[in-house]
Parts: sequence; structure tokens; C-alpha cells
Amino acid sequence: MMTRPAQSQPQAADQAAAPDRSRWTAAVFVAPVVLYLLAFQFYPLAQQFYLSLTDTSLLNPSRQTFVGLENYRDILSDPEFHQALRVTVVYTLVCVAGSILLGLGAALLLDRPFRGRGIARALVTIPWAAPPVAAALIFVWLYNAQYGLVSRASQALGLSAGGFNWLDEPSFALPAILVTTLWQIFPFSAVVILAALQGVPSELREAAVIDGADRLSVFKAVVWPTIRPTVALLALLITVWSLRRFDVIWIMTQGGPLGETNTLVIDLYRRAFVYLDLGRAAAVGIVGLAVAVLVTLVYFWASRRAEAASGRR
Amino acid sequence: MARFRPFHAIAVLALLGVAAFPLYWMFVTSLTPSARLFGAAPQMLPDLAQLPVYLDALTTTSLRHWLFNSMVVAVGTTVLSLLLAVLPAYALSRLKFPGLLLLGFVLFLTQMLPEAMLVVPLYDIFARLGLLNTLLGLILANTAFTVPVVTWILKGAIDAVPGEIEEAAHIDGCSRLGIVLTVVVPLIAPTLAAAAVIAFFHGWNEYVFAQTFISDDQLRTASVGLASFVGELSTPVHTVMAVGFIYTLPAVVFYLFVQRYVVAGMTSGGVKG
Repeated sequence: MMTRPAQSQPQAADQAAAPDRSRWTAAVFVAPVVLYLLAFQFYPLAQQFYLSLTDTSLLNPSRQTFVGLENYRDILSDPEFHQALRVTVVYTLVCVAGSILLGLGAALLLDRPFRGRGIARALVTIPWAAPPVAAALIFVWLYNAQYGLVSRASQALGLSAGGFNWLDEPSFALPAILVTTLWQIFPFSAVVILAALQGVPSELREAAVIDGADRLSVFKAVVWPTIRPTVALLALLITVWSLRRFDVIWIMTQGGPLGETNTLVIDLYRRAFVYLDLGRAAAVGIVGLAVAVLVTLVYFWASRRAEAASGRR
Repeated sequence: MARFRPFHAIAVLALLGVAAFPLYWMFVTSLTPSARLFGAAPQMLPDLAQLPVYLDALTTTSLRHWLFNSMVVAVGTTVLSLLLAVLPAYALSRLKFPGLLLLGFVLFLTQMLPEAMLVVPLYDIFARLGLLNTLLGLILANTAFTVPVVTWILKGAIDAVPGEIEEAAHIDGCSRLGIVLTVVVPLIAPTLAAAAVIAFFHGWNEYVFAQTFISDDQLRTASVGLASFVGELSTPVHTVMAVGFIYTLPAVVFYLFVQRYVVAGMTSGGVKG
């Protein structure tokens, strides 16, 4: 995704001759997808925005009053929402840092030549290929208080008493969900970084080794500068995906215990379908979307600056 | 070939163990009868004598319907996404038109919209269109989320197609649409395949729409069917795990076969910084 438009210069002459025709072609080519997204993404989004300005309840959705920004004022002074913001930030930061570190480690391991490397590279993607609902189910079973392997192991090691319910403990539920998420997504980081590592100039690397550089300085001087743009893009993708992840968290804890796994997306779903409060649910959604857009704009601003800086050098 | 490095070998084996163990554990659990499941020590190896539990899973639950429905949704999402994405991907890559940048931005913006956020308004829209409780509704909803990704990936591949090839066809009198279908599409076939896999997996895995829009058990997808077992106590754990394994294994095996092409297709123009 998201390459800079690698300008192809094919039909420049042809377009100069018939710019109108090219415009029409573009309009016809683009219209179906634009209409489709208007119908199924942007019209619902607009509706959601309107809902956020009303006091609509799921019990009686047809009776609604316009309340202006009241829902936003309510959630901004609601401790539950503050907690959801905090949980979302922690969840997202750990997802980004964790999956990039694990992915980088895995990629470096699988980059070196060894027998069976092709098979190893394929097998490492198993978690990414498993459906999230199935992943959640397996980990719920692994964390099962009496018979789950995690509980059995921690009991055998004397770390916890019998019947310790990981997903029901306020301080363990979020880490337990993070372990599940990281297990699922680190292969994606590994595969993307592995592909970027192919772009590391091997002559440079060899020259550095011959000059007696140790592995860490080779990484810092040669490898990291090459893969840095890819890692930055990866960080953005994982941020955006973490901000919208629903299935794994909902199935494992539904936001509990005591809201400790209640991310913004879970909070919005709970407000809509548990509290039946569509207005405030929509307001939470709009705030969450604003956060995601803001993060993305900051990313593009920062990467443009980094590009400009490296261009000047 | 490089010399053997024991630490490296151990690290790679540990990595693969972490990646594969949860699935292995799902398989072992599915083959452990309840009596032993709740015993003092866990059973670590699969007991192949228990394999008939898979027949039970297929006959005592609605799994067959669920798998069929998931397949319909995944295939439908894939086909519709590709059909919708090819022409705008070409336009984004080759044509200059007002709103080009805006369209690119809008496509990226959709990646920030959580499905859970659009559940309520889409429910309302589908209720009016009579699409609740239909697989078509799920296909339409999923495609709204896959089409932007697929378009971006295809655009990257079309960027890499040299323009001279098209010019030759143009001189031969092909229309623009003809050029796209007969010249460009075959050249980006590997990326089309990669994009198809991505859309297929999205449809196969999708949960929140299927959970909210479908109320008829016969029309549930496998993700929702499987999730319905969590916290429910009447179905034996080994049956649940067998259902989960039947849902997961084909996806994983399929991915292992195609992942090389997915990576090649995505990196041919896609995920390059």
C-alpha cells in the first residue's frame, strides 16, 4: 500500500491531445467505487455523526431529539471514557512496539541463510493466517482458570494459586489480551521487515564486517537506515489496526474486568448494544476516529520532514 | 550454505514453536476426552483414537452450514472487491483528473473507520434494503472495507507496468477499457492473486457484522458460530476445539501455500516505503 505515485509517463502526448476524453475515462473508471464507498462508508459515517448529536436510544430509535454537543460533553467528563482512552493508548503502544520488536527479531533470524529457511519463513506466518476468532478461542482455553495450560503451568511453578482466572483479574486481563494480539500480528511485521531487509546492500554490509564492525554497529549503520521507512509505515498500519480491533477483545473479555480492557471501539459497542445509548456510542466513535486521523496526519507530517532532512544531506 | 550455528538454530526452533503451539494445542485438546481434559496432568500429545470427534463436530453442530456461509461470504467479498477495484486502481495510477489526491486520501481514510462504528448505521440501511439476515448484506459490508486496500495494492502493481506496452495497444486502436482488460490485467495477475487472498481472508475472518446482522442460526458464518461457544457450557470442550480446528486449518494451509505470492505481490509495488 501507499507508494508515492511512481509517475509513469506513458500517454503524456496522447493526454495533451485529448484531455477531456481522459477526464471522462477517469470519471467512468472511478465512479462505481466512489458511489459504493459513499453508500456503505461515508453515508453511514455521516449518519453516525448525526446520531452523536442526538439522544437516540436503541429502545426507541425513531424518537430522537437534537441535543447538540451534549453527548461529547458527557463522555468527556465520564470516568469510564477516560479509562477507555487510557486503555486504548496502552493497548496500541504495546501492539506497535511489541510487534515491531518481535517482528524485527524474527526477520533477522530468518534473513540469514540456513537449511529449511523457506519452510521456516512460511511456518512463522501461521498465527497471522489463523482467524482472530479462533485465536481468541484458543487463548481463552489456554487461560482457563482450572484447566488452562497457562494456569496449570503457573501453578506448577508456584506463581499462582489454583483457579486463578487471568481474564477476570483487573491487572492481568489486558496483558493476556496483548499476548494474544501480539502472537497474531507479529508475523505480519516479520514478513514486511524481511522483505525490506532484501533491500539492504550486501556489499555495504560485507564491507562493514571486513572493517571489523560488530553486529550491532552494522545494524545501526547499514541495516536500520534501509528498513527505517518500512518500519515507520508498519508502525502506522499497526496503530490504525489496533485502534479499530474488535473481535479478539470482545470475545475474550467484552471490555471487562472493571473496564480494564475497554478500548474505545469496545466502549462504543457496549454503549450501543449493552446500554442502548446510540447517541453517546456515536460520540465515542467520532472521538476515536478523530484520534486515528490525527495520528495519521502526524505520521505523514513527520515522514515528510524526515524525507526532506535526508534529502538535504 | 552457511555453517551450522547452534544458537541460531535454537532461536529459530523456539520462534516456530511459539508460532505453531497454540494451533497444536487446539488440535490436542480436540482429541482429549473430557475425563482426561479435567484430569490432574494435561495430555500433551494428540490421541488419534479420538479422531471420530471430528465427525461429531460436523454432525452435531451447524458447522457445515457455517463453513458454507463463510465460504460464500469470503468468495463474494473477493470477487466484488476485485471487480470494483481494478478500474479505479488504473485511474489512480495512470490518469490525471481533478480529485485524484482526494480519492487517494479518502481510500486511506476508510482504513481508520472501525467496523464496530458503522454497525449501527449499516444495520439501519440494511434493514431498509431488506438485507439483514442475508449473506449478500455481509458481502456488501465487507467489500466496503476491502475495496480501498485492494485498490491501493493494484495501483502499486500498475505503477510498475511500463507505459510503452500500453502505447502499442493504443496505437493498434484499443479503447482504454480494452487496454486495461486485455493488457494490464494479465500483467498484474500475481498482484491480483495477492489482493484476492487478502480480500478472501477478510471475508473468512469477519466477525462483528456477521454477529450483528445475522440472527438465523442456519445463516451464521463460522466465526460467529465458533464465538457462540465461548462462555457456553453445554458443548464439550473437545467438540468446540474440533470445530475451531476445522475452521482454522484450511485457512492456515491455504495461506502457507499462497503466502509466497502474497508477499511477492504486495512488495512488487505495495509495501515499499
